Amino acid sequence: MKKLSSMPESPSAPPAQRNWWVYVVLILVCVVNFLPYLRVVMAGFMDGATSSSATPIWFFSPSLEAFDYLIFEKGIMKNFFNSVVVSLASTFFSVTIGMFCAYALARYDFPGRDDVSFWVLTNRMMPPVAVLIPIFVTFQTAGLLDTLLGLIILYTAMQLPFVVWMLTGYFRDIPRRYEESAMVDGDTWFAAFRKVTLPIMAPSITATAIFVMILSWNEFAFATFLTSNQAKTMPPAIMAYSIGADIKWNVLGAAVVLITAPLILFVLLLQRQLISGLSQGVVRK
Amino acid sequence: MSISEHTTTAHALTFGQRGFLSRFGPSNRTIFPWVLMAPTLIILFAIGIYPFLYSLYIAGHNVILSKPYIPQHFVGLYQYQAVVQDPEFWHALRKTLLFTVQAVFIEFWLGLGLALLFQRQLQGVAFMRLFILIPMILPPLVTALVWRYMFYPGAGLMTYYVGAVTRALGLGEIPFLSDPVIAFQTLVFVDVWEWTPFMFLMLSAGLASIPRQPYEAAEIDGAGSWRVFWTITMPLLRPAILIAVIIRTMDAFRTYELIVIMTRGGPGNATTTLNVFLTKTGLEFFDASKAAALSLIMMMIIIVMSFVFIRVFRSKTEVAE
Repeated sequence: MKKLSSMPESPSAPPAQRNWWVYVVLILVCVVNFLPYLRVVMAGFMDGATSSSATPIWFFSPSLEAFDYLIFEKGIMKNFFNSVVVSLASTFFSVTIGMFCAYALARYDFPGRDDVSFWVLTNRMMPPVAVLIPIFVTFQTAGLLDTLLGLIILYTAMQLPFVVWMLTGYFRDIPRRYEESAMVDGDTWFAAFRKVTLPIMAPSITATAIFVMILSWNEFAFATFLTSNQAKTMPPAIMAYSIGADIKWNVLGAAVVLITAPLILFVLLLQRQLISGLSQGVVRK
Repeated sequence: MSISEHTTTAHALTFGQRGFLSRFGPSNRTIFPWVLMAPTLIILFAIGIYPFLYSLYIAGHNVILSKPYIPQHFVGLYQYQAVVQDPEFWHALRKTLLFTVQAVFIEFWLGLGLALLFQRQLQGVAFMRLFILIPMILPPLVTALVWRYMFYPGAGLMTYYVGAVTRALGLGEIPFLSDPVIAFQTLVFVDVWEWTPFMFLMLSAGLASIPRQPYEAAEIDGAGSWRVFWTITMPLLRPAILIAVIIRTMDAFRTYELIVIMTRGGPGNATTTLNVFLTKTGLEFFDASKAAALSLIMMMIIIVMSFVFIRVFRSKTEVAE
């Protein structure tokens, strides 16, 4: 690393033409990170024989055989819809609920605060497989097995520790005097929170929400064991449709396209918010 | 924002100026934080603590899911003893620690390197971020499927092209997933591929929030770049490193989809980590009690690790300040 090169507009930053090796490294990283995914997406548009040939085929006439199979024969759009509902709802609830907890942990100095904070985090430490059996039995008793509501409740609880930990850091970075001055002006606590704190927090909350939504959309272990037919989401559906006795690579590719298209689109649209929100305050003061 | 609109009414009702509930309102600095935290704590209690207690109960009894007719009775610490005396447990623990340490270590340094490269504010690389983030955005399930395709014997890109190179060198094919030692390293490689972007993202955010003044001071003092990195960047980055490493360690410790889909713990038991061992015990052998005891032991290990991390990092941060 050149001296102080990490500083924007630093006078000692090396001139651009000396940075060619950085571009080479970055392009290489991009290729390594993107090529495997691209290859599987390509497989999704192949016919069965092309996707499993003995040598890699790069040029082929596209076929929608696999999509046809998944959408019309397997009805995967229903799983897609389930995934959308579950991830949107659980993101909404976990962020709304976790936000207030994070605020309390960041703003109030009460006895046992560090313990609560650590206890919240320990909820993320249990391996999902470990709590599977108790949760299965509870869901069975409550009639929540194979329902979207059950998954929404579960995912909300699963994402809460992450939301609380991320947002606590962000809240700490906002000077308290902003809210206090609003409250001096006669606003109630909640009005000050809504008019002053929330707008400042919007990028961080958005970034956290994107993270949480991705995690919910991708969740596999619980979705596999707690749903069977009605509420099955995309990950277990894809597992069921593409990995059988022998793997149909083009079906797998098409399934990967369907499950990742919304994610890629979403992150592409919100990339700026994601980066700026995260950089606002991962670091505690 | 819709979030705030949704809750405004509820709060107006709850924390009205004159209502009975207002005594728990914002002016009460002892009780109000608990009011704010209540929904979170209740949900975590219902979905976190209750299953935990249930696990504790099962681990103290003899529950075999496939034999519900066996009368259940209290067995004390027998199940924990059964786990600790099982050589398979120690094997799985060693594999898990090896996997976690290797993966997190490599991810951290690669992620930090990438984050530092992006700090240079080069022209026209912003769009590259998305490409770099792709592995992290993909569902772990998809990552595992993608790499199964890459390592698929024959036309998988890795098998085919790397195989072509190694054949030319006279080394023959590399058994990416069928040799015990290589299969384990293959899984580490895929985990690094998948999660380095996460480290990159978290550490980039950390770097962005470091103030400029220390760097300016160092420049005046004429400190070299290596020294600046170790005495300014690393200490100030510590909080970001802490949270990134803790989250990643916890998740690497319980990697599931990747291993189950790519190797199923094999060949033999070469890639059987604790989580795979746990799944086998609970869902293949239906020994719910032993599985519960095992999961509680796993959780203790993770909690102790996190606690040590937090302690070590906190004390160092305080010294640095």
